[in-house]
Amino acid sequence: MTRTELGPLATAGEFEADPTRQPPRGIGRWIIYGLLIFSALTMVVPFLWMVSTSLKADEYVLTMPPQFLPRPLTLYSYRRLAALFPIGRIFLNSLLVATWTAAGQLLTCSMAAYAFARMRFRGSNALFLIYLATLMIPSQVTITPLFIVMRYLGWINTYPGLILPGVFSAFGTFLLRQFLLGIPRELEEAAFIDGASHWTVYSRIILPLAKPALATLAVYSFMGSWNAYLWPLFVVSDMQLMTLPVGLATLHGRWLTQWNLVMAGSVITVLPMLVVYLAAQKYFVKGVVMSGIKG
Amino acid sequence: MVGERGWRKLAWVGVFLLPSLLGLLTFAVVPILSSLLLTLFDWDLLTPPRFVGLGNFQRLVADRNFWSALGHTLYYIAGYIPLVMVIALAVAVLVNQRLRGVVLVRAAFFVPVVSAWVAVALLWQWIFNPKYGLLNYLLSLVGVHGPAWLFDPQWAMPAIILTSLWKDIGFVMVMLLAGLQGIPSQYYEAAAIDGASRWQQFRSITLPLLSPTIFFALTISLINSFQVFDQVWVMTGGGPAGATSVLVEQIVKNAFSYSRMGYAASLSWVLFILVFAATIIQLRGQKRWVTYD
Amino acid sequence: MRSRWFSLLAGALVLSVLVASCAQQPPAPTPTPVVIEKIKVVTATPAPPPPPTPVTLTYFTFSAAPDHLKDLDDMIKIFASAHPNIKIKVETAAWNDYFTKLQTLIAGGTAPDVFELNYENFVSYAAKGVLLDLGPVAQADAQFDAAIFYPRAYGAFNYNGMQLGLPETFSTVVLFYNKALFDKAGVAYPTGDWTWSDAVAAAKKLTDAKAGVYGLYSPAQFWEFYKKAAQNGCSFLSEDKQQVTLNSPQCVQALETMVNFVVKDKVMPTDAEMAGVSDGDLFKSGKIAMDVTGIWMFAAFKDAPFQWDIAVEPGLKQHATHFFANAVSVFAASKHPQEAWEWVKFFTSSPDVAAMRVTSAWELPALKNPAYFEDYLKQTPPANRAAVFQSLEYAIVPPVIERQGEMQDAIGRLIDQVKLGKMTAQQALDEATKQVQALLK
Repeated sequence: MTRTELGPLATAGEFEADPTRQPPRGIGRWIIYGLLIFSALTMVVPFLWMVSTSLKADEYVLTMPPQFLPRPLTLYSYRRLAALFPIGRIFLNSLLVATWTAAGQLLTCSMAAYAFARMRFRGSNALFLIYLATLMIPSQVTITPLFIVMRYLGWINTYPGLILPGVFSAFGTFLLRQFLLGIPRELEEAAFIDGASHWTVYSRIILPLAKPALATLAVYSFMGSWNAYLWPLFVVSDMQLMTLPVGLATLHGRWLTQWNLVMAGSVITVLPMLVVYLAAQKYFVKGVVMSGIKG
Repeated sequence: MVGERGWRKLAWVGVFLLPSLLGLLTFAVVPILSSLLLTLFDWDLLTPPRFVGLGNFQRLVADRNFWSALGHTLYYIAGYIPLVMVIALAVAVLVNQRLRGVVLVRAAFFVPVVSAWVAVALLWQWIFNPKYGLLNYLLSLVGVHGPAWLFDPQWAMPAIILTSLWKDIGFVMVMLLAGLQGIPSQYYEAAAIDGASRWQQFRSITLPLLSPTIFFALTISLINSFQVFDQVWVMTGGGPAGATSVLVEQIVKNAFSYSRMGYAASLSWVLFILVFAATIIQLRGQKRWVTYD
Repeated sequence: MRSRWFSLLAGALVLSVLVASCAQQPPAPTPTPVVIEKIKVVTATPAPPPPPTPVTLTYFTFSAAPDHLKDLDDMIKIFASAHPNIKIKVETAAWNDYFTKLQTLIAGGTAPDVFELNYENFVSYAAKGVLLDLGPVAQADAQFDAAIFYPRAYGAFNYNGMQLGLPETFSTVVLFYNKALFDKAGVAYPTGDWTWSDAVAAAKKLTDAKAGVYGLYSPAQFWEFYKKAAQNGCSFLSEDKQQVTLNSPQCVQALETMVNFVVKDKVMPTDAEMAGVSDGDLFKSGKIAMDVTGIWMFAAFKDAPFQWDIAVEPGLKQHATHFFANAVSVFAASKHPQEAWEWVKFFTSSPDVAAMRVTSAWELPALKNPAYFEDYLKQTPPANRAAVFQSLEYAIVPPVIERQGEMQDAIGRLIDQVKLGKMTAQQALDEATKQVQALLK
């Protein structure tokens, strides 16, 4: 059974009609429910504990055995964070940097992935291997030369300096290339016959089909930038440009760590990411992937 | 492509590739090549680098800490990769189904992915606490006396693998979900009409059509697990007695604590060769099991 | 649907450009002071000195963030009123990453003008020649008198005859004890002339393993080890620093004593039993009766639900206590050495700064005059704050070699092996001697 037999121009498979997405009936369904609920709890309990610790007063933070419900419940940690840091500014910086990074990745990586996946050219595989290779060197060692490069470009302690290295990651190109490779050629061939240029095919046909992968990349690149620590640590010296992970790291003092503050900081850091994920995950779910021209 | 020949085509390729390529060259390739050059030098970062030729590599071969770090890294990979791929695939298939509240379950799996290691490490240290921890408590309920986990050289790495699985399953799951979404339902419908069971459908439709995504997830996971670092740094610091010392931990120590940036660079390049070799093997292997159309 | 997201994203990007450009407006220029001289003398007068050029110094610190940034700002304000042409730009990093960042800044050519260093790192930075010799500029400064510093602290930052830093703060390590637990067990409080045998004897009476209460905490690790070694009359290195003497009998005995707290005497919890909870937290929750830790814990223990006090740490053949000191140094290639000196001098020796430090509990200034510490001594708890200064009489500095990080890790790993029972103290120290000797080359 090949794709051409079925017709690549399939109509959108509605979520409800998709038989693989119908769970089994009877006991199978309950087992699945049980498994999912159990594993979901395992994933979420540590986060709940983070929230719980962030609401504890200093002296109750590290009682042994650990106390789940804070008594008394206090917002002290959050107030203290606001007093110690320009939290609003730091948050905004992180938001700005992560958004630009994600946007930059979506654009440049989708274009490169289109070239690798949909265009045949000599040296394509070799060049792609080079892309992959850049993921294989630990960043801790390339970060010092990168710092020097950035200094020559004059972008130390600037927003471009913070954003640009994160935009050009081979990870995004790799992800999108794999996805784009799975799209049948027939869809484009029709368009080319009609005289469309590569840019039209890219923007009108390929990109819409790649929504799940683009959404995935958006989440990953936003997350990578949002949680980035080492590079912002080096490149930023102005408190006005500080991002969340760097600012919150100073809560780990040389001798003492105030865990309730650290957890409050972590909660502030995690929540926006969850919002981004929930917003993007609609695109993972849409059954409409292969909506093509019927005929 | 119709109507695309020679220079025009190359020009189009250039248009699409150039932004990404330029950026990669400036911000990735140049620093990486610099680090290659650095392997021939001894550099403490404070004074100018000093040429030592192949001295770093000679040192590497004799370095006991390197070999044990290599062993621990391979141990980590062998334990982590099969488990993360199988479990993430199972979870992705499960959460791809139309069940009530499945959106929340999917989001739940992603929560560990977005949490910083620093925040969850403390909680996991408690879960692994030999005396009061949750894990040993649960084990005691079935009559098993749990080990000292992070404080026992034998069990520290399994503990780290377990924690890494917890954190990364969501990451791989999301990748696989995007791939699952890309499989047209018509295939399943036709197979169901033909009388194929769910398992048969999984084997002959899902797996093959998901294979490019599986390949991607596997490759990325492999590349990342060779470079495992954050969880080791935060949870055990490489201990106890060096039992969880891994390659990137040695690289970081040499680069910044021991003032041996050149040696750290040479360690990185040995790591690179290992990862590159593993990836090439993967790429060759993909011809056998990955189906593109 | 798509267009809605698209416009949302576009809006976010536009907004962020605006925010970014806001941030990058240059700060208001520091007003250049104008020197006006109204001299009504007919004879020729010398031209007024040109106004000092405005200078911006970067000061990189680990101890200020996050709790003392405001205090630092206040100190800078005082400095600015005396030196209106010098602007101080503060950069901070968390302790764990401070030196990683400092090295990278120096390697990248954007080194801060002035930065903080702790003793161990001071030695390696001094050896590399990246610190400015403050001798000449100090000599030229008539108002500067080195005698205001605590001599040991001042001397610690003298390297090969060059004064490469001024001491900023110091801390000592003392024995904290839980008076309530002592009273309950009917044991006499520790005194300043206890030996470790006295401490272990008391700890045995205080330990109640079933209740999870331990008598003592003094961990087997690098910093404690060199201290106990010194207490036993042994040092890691020979006089000329060329020979490693780690496996001398006194050192072996010191290590054995330390490990035995857990293994033989059973008065101290194992690492597994502590499982990630710090000794400070255990002391505060009444699970450790005697804790050897630093005076920086005063603030943390302030609201402990029991009475506690401190004593000079017990010794073996003699007393030896930790002396931690931080220095402030100037980058050797700084473009503004004179101004940097003014800041360094002010920050380490100004009476205003010293008073602010004591009030805000931001470590202790390394100044000799006891008058600075009157307020400090009056604060309680603990009552016996005099022990902080008594400890100074026995203070030692850690053994430092060029390959400090590797030595600490190597010794640490071998001590771990002894704790796990995989090696005897003698075996571990023989091996350590070999490894450290190799590092000395």
